[in-house]
Amino acid sequence: MIEALQFEFMRNALYAGLFASLICGIIGTFVVVNRMVFLTGGIAHAAYGGIGAALFFGIPYIYGTMGFSLVAALIMTAVTLRVPHRSDTFIGVLWAVGMALGVILVDLTPGYNVDLMSYLFGSILAVPESDIWWMLALGAVTLALTLYFYRDLIAISYDMEFAQLQGVRVNFLYFLFMAMVAVAIVLIIRVVGLLLVIALLSIPPYIAEKYARSLGVMMIFAVALSAVFNVAGLWMAYRFDLSSGAAIILVAAAGFFLSLFIDTIINVRHKKQRSKI
Amino acid sequence: MDDPVIELSNVSFSYDGVPVVQNASFTVARNEFLAIIGPNGGGKSTLVKLVLGLLKPDAGRIRVLGKPPKKVSHCFGYVPQDVSINRSFPISVLDVVLMGRLRRHKGVRIRQQDYEAAAHFLDLLGVAQYKDRRIDDLSGGQRERVFIARALTTDPDILILDEPTASVDTAGRTELYSLLRELNRTKTIIVVSHDLMVMSSYVTAVACVNQQVYYHGKNEITDEMIDMGYQCPVELIAHGQPHRILKTHEEGP
Repeated sequence: MIEALQFEFMRNALYAGLFASLICGIIGTFVVVNRMVFLTGGIAHAAYGGIGAALFFGIPYIYGTMGFSLVAALIMTAVTLRVPHRSDTFIGVLWAVGMALGVILVDLTPGYNVDLMSYLFGSILAVPESDIWWMLALGAVTLALTLYFYRDLIAISYDMEFAQLQGVRVNFLYFLFMAMVAVAIVLIIRVVGLLLVIALLSIPPYIAEKYARSLGVMMIFAVALSAVFNVAGLWMAYRFDLSSGAAIILVAAAGFFLSLFIDTIINVRHKKQRSKI
Repeated sequence: MDDPVIELSNVSFSYDGVPVVQNASFTVARNEFLAIIGPNGGGKSTLVKLVLGLLKPDAGRIRVLGKPPKKVSHCFGYVPQDVSINRSFPISVLDVVLMGRLRRHKGVRIRQQDYEAAAHFLDLLGVAQYKDRRIDDLSGGQRERVFIARALTTDPDILILDEPTASVDTAGRTELYSLLRELNRTKTIIVVSHDLMVMSSYVTAVACVNQQVYYHGKNEITDEMIDMGYQCPVELIAHGQPHRILKTHEEGP
């Protein structure tokens, strides 16, 4: 690994992975405790429509995807707040429509042939330096907003009605947060791919949730786990010449199943102890 | 009525076209201890959420301290029915109670006065020793106390509890109700509950809710027996006065 770091692309990949860990660990904590993994997946996939739109209309990639995913996020959030028990259906529909629209728009654009695989898995080994700066900035903004609204975000995640009575601007915060998710997804997908974003948003926070006593601790734990998965995955990709995004995901998945396995053992032990008493 | 705290006039509400509350009108006076009773699904929790301003009535008018409920939401201390929400949520007992001070501060750091308020009410409810535990490590009865502490930490004028004793044992109930009686000296209290027999000596008004709301004021319950007839099939026995009867409900207007 150390000798790998003499290559600039490996250093950039490492930075990108670490910043993605920071952003995904913080945002993923809220995503997981609010049971919004599916909603987040919906936004991430629908954003592909933005790539198609950007190509077709000849606008810069970043505006196309950012605009598209922000609109998708706003619609999905509005539906989730209005008709919570029906939101999964609407998210599924937008998810499929967004992707299909993207594929068709790419088809209709003469001369372009976008590789869907690079959208799914990203190209962490070819991250330009400018993207690293973008991620650093996004990480700083995410951190600042989270620190400022920390207690309000806990309250709306834990007990929305009580938060409302306390004068927390529930809808405003919900939309702000979903906008943050949309922006983060778009920027990070470009770097590490859609699948890795979903894996990093869900797996480390899920593991962290079980052992943390507060949301803050859960975030720190999730960021750290995520960073470990990234470094380990990158090392394996380098060592065995594998796709880096997929390698990181599989390392994270190994951690996920390991944590489930450990939980089972602990539960069985507890039961045995209890039956002895 | 003098000094009304809550006034409802002809309030109706329906979920997806199914009427839940119909044409409810009543007034709650300051320092009243109101018990809301009625069958499951009769609309008790919905009525409470209408008063809190968490739901908007389809028709009618609600005034709390003379204003729409949303304008005075800081005057409410609310203990929701379901204290086992979000079971896997990583949050300490202290952080749950600190939610009651949200209006007053932002950011991560806990201010000294907020901490003291939270600690005071945790102590009052007898759960101070659990303050650093994760809330889902507590039993149902302990969680209930934490949620009451949270409601009190907001320093409310009106305390609203939705079935606060569902997971509390009998000794705990008596204790809880005598605490509520203490608090009733300075606060208006509304309790959704089936335990009329435990609190019958403190309650100053009873509302029977089964879509319609039948409001029974002070003199009715002190002199007469609490039996709601078929509208609210609740049978109750009061200490000392085993056979008091409430006036039968008149048919709706």
